[in-house]
Amino acid sequence: MQGRRTLLAVAEVAAWWVPLAALWLVLVSTVDPLEAAVGAGASSVVALVARGARRAVTGR
Amino acid sequence: MNGWILAAAVVLAAGLGATLRGVVTGPLRRRAAAQNLSTALACPALLLLAQGYARPAYVDLALVLAVLGPVGTLVFARLLADELADDPPHARTATFTAAALGAAVVVAVSVATGPGRALVKLLVIGALLVGGNLVASRALAGGMQEGRRD
Repeated sequence: MQGRRTLLAVAEVAAWWVPLAALWLVLVSTVDPLEAAVGAGASSVVALVARGARRAVTGR
Repeated sequence: MNGWILAAAVVLAAGLGATLRGVVTGPLRRRAAAQNLSTALACPALLLLAQGYARPAYVDLALVLAVLGPVGTLVFARLLADELADDPPHARTATFTAAALGAAVVVAVSVATGPGRALVKLLVIGALLVGGNLVASRALAGGMQEGRRD
């Protein structure tokens, strides 16, 4: 049960991460490895925040 | 001066001028609706100026305004909820006119830009502009009260 819940949490964060990272790559002026790395890190942080916000709104 | 800058000047003078007049005169309901429309009209003007000056990086200004404009209106809608509850602003025609103008400007600039990452960025800005404008107008027209009931 615990493992299933962890898996769902990881899947949700990943589901937030993909569109956030894509948005970063669309909005930066030039795509290079440094921008990709910074975008991946920033998207990770925001994906965690997004999951927290979603849980706060839905109460689950 | 080219057509883009001329269009931006027209949008700024007619659209933003009219909304600024609405903000400084009249009852609260009109002021609240006009301040919402002011950012919805300034954003397309910034897109047109970026295209007119051939500086694609300038569309970042429009992006920031498309995000922060509706957020500012939501703050007003929340803070003025009690005052607006008796006489909510239903600026339906003006809201849809501003949304249509924003969509038309985004389409025109997108066609001029052509396919690529810049096009996706413009479409993101357009979605934020039109969607944010409609959501903020709905909040001003009583969406906050609806949300409070549950």
